[in-house]
Amino acid sequence: MGERRFAWALALPGLLVLAGVVGFPLLYALFLSFTRYTFLSPSYALSGPGRFAEALGDPYFLHALGLTALYVALTVGLTLVLGLLLAVLLHQNLPLKGFHYVVVGLPMLVAPVGVGLIWKMILHPELGILAYLFGGVDFFGDVRYALLSLALVDVWQQVSFAALVLLAGLRSLPREPLEAAYVDGATPFQAFLRVTLPLLRPVLVVLLILQTLTEVRTYDLVYVLTRGGPGSATDLVSYFIYRKAFLGLDLSGASAMGYLLLLLTLLLVAAYYRAMTRL
Amino acid sequence: MKRWLLAAAVGLGLGLAQGVVLRALMEDVPETRIIEELLPEFQRQTGIRVEFEKVQYSAMHDKLVAQFLAPTNAYDFLQVDFLWAGEFPAAGWLEPLEPYVKASGFDLSPYFPSMLDLVGYYRGTLYMIPMYNYAMGLIYRKDLLGRQDLKERFRAQHGRALTLPRTLEEYVETSLFMAKNAGVSGAAMQGQRGDPNFMEFSNYLFAAKGDYVDRNWRVTLASPQGEKALTLYVRNIRQAAPKGALNFNLDDTFRVMCQGQAFSMVTYWWMLPQLDDPRQCPKVAGKVALAPMPGGVGVNGGWGWAIPRNSANKEAAWRFISWVESKEIVLKRALKGHAPTRKDAFQDPGVLRRYPYYRQAEAIIAQAKKVPIFAYTAEMEDVVGREISLAAAGQKGIRQALQDAAKGLEGLLRKAGLLR
Repeated sequence: MGERRFAWALALPGLLVLAGVVGFPLLYALFLSFTRYTFLSPSYALSGPGRFAEALGDPYFLHALGLTALYVALTVGLTLVLGLLLAVLLHQNLPLKGFHYVVVGLPMLVAPVGVGLIWKMILHPELGILAYLFGGVDFFGDVRYALLSLALVDVWQQVSFAALVLLAGLRSLPREPLEAAYVDGATPFQAFLRVTLPLLRPVLVVLLILQTLTEVRTYDLVYVLTRGGPGSATDLVSYFIYRKAFLGLDLSGASAMGYLLLLLTLLLVAAYYRAMTRL
Repeated sequence: MKRWLLAAAVGLGLGLAQGVVLRALMEDVPETRIIEELLPEFQRQTGIRVEFEKVQYSAMHDKLVAQFLAPTNAYDFLQVDFLWAGEFPAAGWLEPLEPYVKASGFDLSPYFPSMLDLVGYYRGTLYMIPMYNYAMGLIYRKDLLGRQDLKERFRAQHGRALTLPRTLEEYVETSLFMAKNAGVSGAAMQGQRGDPNFMEFSNYLFAAKGDYVDRNWRVTLASPQGEKALTLYVRNIRQAAPKGALNFNLDDTFRVMCQGQAFSMVTYWWMLPQLDDPRQCPKVAGKVALAPMPGGVGVNGGWGWAIPRNSANKEAAWRFISWVESKEIVLKRALKGHAPTRKDAFQDPGVLRRYPYYRQAEAIIAQAKKVPIFAYTAEMEDVVGREISLAAAGQKGIRQALQDAAKGLEGLLRKAGLLR
């Protein structure tokens, strides 16, 4: 058996599983989005691109898309900045390093639903400790703060993953360019800005892609903390699509919305990827 | 010879029944555990073993839908929330129960007509047997209503006696008064978008003599009555409810009421024993009472037993349903704290001795009114709940929110084929 064939033989079982659990559902959802299939009338009669037009004409769906864009920008931006800060701190020779690693890594180990329930009580307007310290701020019941509060809870969990990835990136950087910068008289801040950060850029872009994909799919925190309210202040698109499928029983409409979201996400990821390959 | 054949048939039947295991998806609540305690009795009588898969309410709908779409259902019988009581039969997922009722001589007459209307019949066909009731009424603090200083101040401010409110206007007025004068919130309100605020607002709507649709399914929500209901609802939640009420669900309102921080709550009648329990709520036990929704009519809610059309054990499932809904077992369940749906359980002297407030509960259920039950009731909750929340949050005007809610509801009724 040639090397190439051997490689295919090794990859084949994995590829078959992928085709079954990823490829088939994706193709099935694409097919459904061109039908009028609902749980109540499960018919595969084709309807053309009508479901996509309906989605784009739904002001609440467009609102959910816009809100999600804001949410992604907020959470990904904050996660990257705070993650970088933590990674740089952990990269120093601090005492009790192992302890710090464990503390920073802990939020990543908690299920998002658990995170939601913990923060629901911490931020509870009548019983929560943080609401008390902040003079009774209504974190999730006030339209002015609800999205930001949701984003901060999300960032609290996501930042540990970002910090660990960036720490691994910092650890793997070559020391020579940094030493050369110091020999040339750069201050630590200048060296970080001009040498470390550009070298870290590929890691940052990968993290940016991963975090964007995670945040676009935010569903569990909304479900546990706000159910999209108050009003429509936290009605993120994944939660919207879930309701379309399981409350509206409209699988084809939800598939069309899902594909529109997939398309937008792909465009974003392609832009990131292009930015990365240009470096 | 005949006797031998009969004995052989009975023996064979029992033998077959011995092997039957019925499975059901049940909500993980105390009522399910009450039934579970009685299951060995059913197994002794019939040889049929029953297993409950207990999950949280929020996980039930999706699990059930997935099983309905499978060739054979993993569950032999189900409990159906009234929100799904239109959707499941409309989709053809439930077995019509009339043939079973007729064949077994099962008596439907003890059930409240309002319960059979809610979780019994769908468009003239019997698909469910009422199992559990959660109609809504008013739970209030009788100690606050009786306080002399508050009585005097209320009379000075409003020119009438401080009594249990009889109309929606009186209720909101009393709630606002308590919020300003009694050091508590006027109403522990469940303003979270979706099921919580939809259910709560529906009481206001019915109390204001409004409704969602008329007899011909024409939408009547955006009416003067609807406007009055939403105006009073928004006023109460913004001026008399605790901070955070816009995001409160049932658990949150219970906590607030249990800690003595509110005068009232529009809620399910079975909440009273929880609040009146000195171990659970020492601050308010003995001080709370139940009354019908001011205006007389509250929202009806409940669960029904049903058999999926793709159940593998329909006969055995019916045997279980008719056993668990027999008078003897219903009384046993009621005495253990399971909310009944049969009139005879509410009137039983033993049950009334243990739960005297069942008299008020019976009055609430008899008057209770259902929200529109059709294929998209769950989506209706979402659509109307969104607009109520937008109005309560000040993101939309009252009239606009009502018009948008009515438009959304109309679209759903068209989708369901009830409106042309």
